[in-house]
Amino acid sequence: MSSELLFKPVRELAALVRARQLSPVALTELYLDRLERLGPKYNAVVTITRERALSQARRAEGEIAAGRYRGALHGIPYGAKDLLATAGTPTTWGAAPYREQRFDFDATVIGKLEDAGAVLCAKLAMIELAGGMGYRQPTASFTGPCINPWDTDAWTGGSSSGSGAAVAAGLVPFAIGSETWGSILSPAGYCGLAGLRPTYGRVSRHGAMALCWTLDKLGPLALTADDCGLVLEAIAGADSADPTASERPYRYEVAERRGFRFGVIPDVTDGCEEAVVANFRRSLDELAKIGTVEEVTLPDLPYEQITRTILQVEAVSAFEDLIESGGIAELTAPEDRFTPYAREAILAHDYLKAVRLRGVMAREIDRVISRYDALVAPGRINEAPRLGQEFRSAIRATAKDVMGAVGNGAGLPAVCVPNGVGARGLPTSLQFMGRAWEENRVLDAARAYQSLTDWHTRHPKLD
Amino acid sequence: MPETPNPEVVTLFALVANRYGDRLTTEQLDEIKKMVEGQVEAARALRAVRLNNADEPFQAFTAYRGEP
Repeated sequence: MSSELLFKPVRELAALVRARQLSPVALTELYLDRLERLGPKYNAVVTITRERALSQARRAEGEIAAGRYRGALHGIPYGAKDLLATAGTPTTWGAAPYREQRFDFDATVIGKLEDAGAVLCAKLAMIELAGGMGYRQPTASFTGPCINPWDTDAWTGGSSSGSGAAVAAGLVPFAIGSETWGSILSPAGYCGLAGLRPTYGRVSRHGAMALCWTLDKLGPLALTADDCGLVLEAIAGADSADPTASERPYRYEVAERRGFRFGVIPDVTDGCEEAVVANFRRSLDELAKIGTVEEVTLPDLPYEQITRTILQVEAVSAFEDLIESGGIAELTAPEDRFTPYAREAILAHDYLKAVRLRGVMAREIDRVISRYDALVAPGRINEAPRLGQEFRSAIRATAKDVMGAVGNGAGLPAVCVPNGVGARGLPTSLQFMGRAWEENRVLDAARAYQSLTDWHTRHPKLD
Repeated sequence: MPETPNPEVVTLFALVANRYGDRLTTEQLDEIKKMVEGQVEAARALRAVRLNNADEPFQAFTAYRGEP
């Protein structure tokens, strides 16, 4: 059974489950077995939640047999980044100082997925403290570097590293990750997956580790953009425990659209690897079949400095106790043990200037992006870095990422999907970024692109 | 001729060094100095943009009142 089911999108698994041609218990056992057997190979897993998973799967099976089908995620296994609180299991935040940490409640996202009938199989590895302490290389996690299923000498990206590895290796059909700046799009892009960063406030952050209160978003990584929409519908919505979670209703609607308007920032490929640029140009040719592609110039603002300043200040404030106490010395990455101290030297005046400029940025970008269905760009500047390699990052000002700065700083939704391979045969990616609260539009565009290409149907060769 | 250090970098680095220097190595302090230089550079870019009096911090604040 396993080879037929592996790498089937959630939508296809759901159809089989609903028709009772596939048992949620058997499906869960399949993925639990793979998590146990292959999870360690990729350093992808922190905790396997076998007992909870089988209990949820049995309940799903019984409900479906009784005619109480809850929807597309009913009986579907998944994994969650280990920064989401789950009662009864450790929640480590990927960091040695928190390896024994436990909460007595489930994060809202975990609860919403339970309500949808999804089956939690594992807490997945992540970069320590979601990368907020300034890490420079893949080993920045107490569970070790997360290994890319496409190439065991390559990194998955981060900070939702295990979420990327687990879906790419067929250990779960979808996973939940988080993004403050790049942490969903990076592992999705490097692992050849679809990753959706929702609008800030679309998904409750209650029970998720806080890195930056005004930047953190939770979202899915899956095999297709369509699957991301299915998951988003289950996890979106207001939450009295998180005042930033919006009451705007969200329903994933599949529209087979054409006639899109895409915008491209002129210098958006600056600093990208040659193959990334070539693949992006090919993607633009594909997009021209389903819409118009035009250059769009953004107003001249210090986008990266705005978002970086806010991120750095909020992150050191969120972990004030750990930093002040010297507890960061227990972190795994050597650079995470001292980088936060530098941020103590950011002046309040400059931080507030960044927060004021953020309003200007949000208004200006909305004015520009409202004329388009999406701005498009490479998802990443490169193929996955090698495991022993220091990587470039806009958060540390060693790479450019205007799309990431604008998208995260203004809280805009983006989805990335695979669009080719690079010089080392690893996936490259294409991102679609839309207006606030327009997840369906960017998902429409990404789905339309995936209907023209087959990159999402290719998977790593696994032993 | 050696470059004249930026006095703002010197002052801000001294703040970090005074506060945390006893737990940091010379190499770490050197790295932190480079980071402070980067932060001052970023601040310069932020300060260069003129704002209007009405450009408020883009963060909602609401007065809180517990029930009832």
